[in-house]
Amino acid sequence: MRLLRQPGFVISLLVLLLVAVAIVAPSLLSTHDPYLSVPKDRLLPPSAEYLFGTDNLGRDLYSRVVHGTALSIVSAALAVAVGVVVGGLVGLASGFLGGPVDFAIMRLVDVLVAIPGILLALIVVATLGFGPVSIGLGVGLGAAGSFARVMRSQVLRVRNEEYVEAARTLGARMPAVVFRHVLPNAARPVIAVAALELGTAILGVSALTFLGFGAPPPAPEWGALSAAGRDFIAAQPWLSIIPGLVILAVVLAVNRVARAIGGER
Amino acid sequence: MNATLRVLRYIAPKLAQFIFVVLATYTVVFLLITFLPGDPLLAALASKSGGDTIVDPEALERLRQQYGLAGTPWEQYWHRLGMLVHGDLGISIATGQPVATMIARTLPNSVEIALIALVIAIVIAVLFTFLAFLAPVRWLRNLLLQIPPFGVAIPAFLTGLLLISFFSFTLGWLPSSGSRQPGSAILPAVTLALPVGAILFQVFSAAVLEAQASQHVFTAVAKGVPPWRIFTAHLLRNALLPTITVLGLTIGYLAAGTAVVETVFSRDGIGRMTVNAVLARDINVIQGIVLMIAAVYATVNLVVDLAYGVIDPRTRRSGRRPARTAQPADEPKEVTA
Repeated sequence: MRLLRQPGFVISLLVLLLVAVAIVAPSLLSTHDPYLSVPKDRLLPPSAEYLFGTDNLGRDLYSRVVHGTALSIVSAALAVAVGVVVGGLVGLASGFLGGPVDFAIMRLVDVLVAIPGILLALIVVATLGFGPVSIGLGVGLGAAGSFARVMRSQVLRVRNEEYVEAARTLGARMPAVVFRHVLPNAARPVIAVAALELGTAILGVSALTFLGFGAPPPAPEWGALSAAGRDFIAAQPWLSIIPGLVILAVVLAVNRVARAIGGER
Repeated sequence: MNATLRVLRYIAPKLAQFIFVVLATYTVVFLLITFLPGDPLLAALASKSGGDTIVDPEALERLRQQYGLAGTPWEQYWHRLGMLVHGDLGISIATGQPVATMIARTLPNSVEIALIALVIAIVIAVLFTFLAFLAPVRWLRNLLLQIPPFGVAIPAFLTGLLLISFFSFTLGWLPSSGSRQPGSAILPAVTLALPVGAILFQVFSAAVLEAQASQHVFTAVAKGVPPWRIFTAHLLRNALLPTITVLGLTIGYLAAGTAVVETVFSRDGIGRMTVNAVLARDINVIQGIVLMIAAVYATVNLVVDLAYGVIDPRTRRSGRRPARTAQPADEPKEVTA
């Protein structure tokens, strides 16, 4: 594996491993109770005891970031899942039906791609209500357009292949052709796009939670942590900046690995 | 052929596209609002009164009429479309003001920082591309080309908070919030410019470095033309087309970015208005803003399309956009050579 000799790629894998542990078993990484206030330890700068310092209620920011990982990443993962399923189905239908239906669907997809994803997400959040699930749905809908395009191009590529024609000549039904031939062949490009979209989705989700549309307050979602620390930016800048840096590190790591999946060295 | 008719035949499909984008955006937004679970009017009323409200059916129906949310979805669709044709975006549920008036009041603030951001982004992209083009050693060039992935991965609020922390509180040079003091537009504009500049730099440098490898540049270097002259005369022009294409697409980026940036810097503008509208569950305002942004987006792309005809005369005949690389600009040279 040539990739494993690249320090950037190895660091990215390590970051993702940490994220995975923080999602599955946050207490392995955290050093304090993320919800426990210690009044005498309010607004402390980062130290050996409190790695990222403490907030205005005396809670350990590091432990809060660790426990907030699941909320932040799961919303983003939900977004990608929604994008893959909705976009994938639309692209599949468009590619297979062809003709005027294909034309009409793809023009609508053009518009879906043109509306900034965050605005689409805001429409969904305003209609459905606040919380991690509607954020995930909203961001996912914003990503569905690009998945529809990838899926459609894969269907168009595969549908005229000889083995697909052979299968249809042999009397295979449409669903069988889709599941046995089209989907497996479309998997790699779709996964590569999904991986890239995960980075974008993490950014979108954190922007929306920063704006206050996520889970209600004590929940330590990354964007919300940064927003809460904003009131102390003058004297305690780490409170808002460290959660932001964590998001940056995770997005960079996800994007690096995504490019590797896409075939870039 | 009649000259006016020719111009008309060139412009008409592009105008049709403009109308289509706005109409399709309206339709997509309408479908979302109508078919997602939840009653937007009840949600907005509950948010307004700070809890669950019991409104008698008659008063509710009156409010529905007032906000254009009455009748079957089919009736609502055509009713609101008719209003849209007359430039009426409806009435805000939270404030009771016409949405168009609210947008007209806040838009200039956002356009100001968006325009400054665009200028900064273009300057950054050209400057860095020139540096990458000049870079005498390979690692320096590779280092510069590493910047775009970084610029796209940074959350906008982090950029803003870092800038505030450094320039407002450590150095005390620029105001951290508000829109009245002099210089208050600079930090928001820089925050907004970063991802746009990163994307422009990526497209721009790719086009320039590609053109650099072409034969006419090789000839120019052999003739002893100085580097800055090669850059401006041979490379910049070739890189213009793909860059302008991307420029049209960055409008969406700028529009979405203002929501976060104006919140971080506590500025009045479209972005802040959007955030407040979502907080109040004021669906009429959100729909109006999205339509306005779609119209701006479609206008910019219309101008970009027309600009192609000016920059690259070959696109005038077919009325088509060239591919998004610098390659087409080289083709005729190869044919004649």
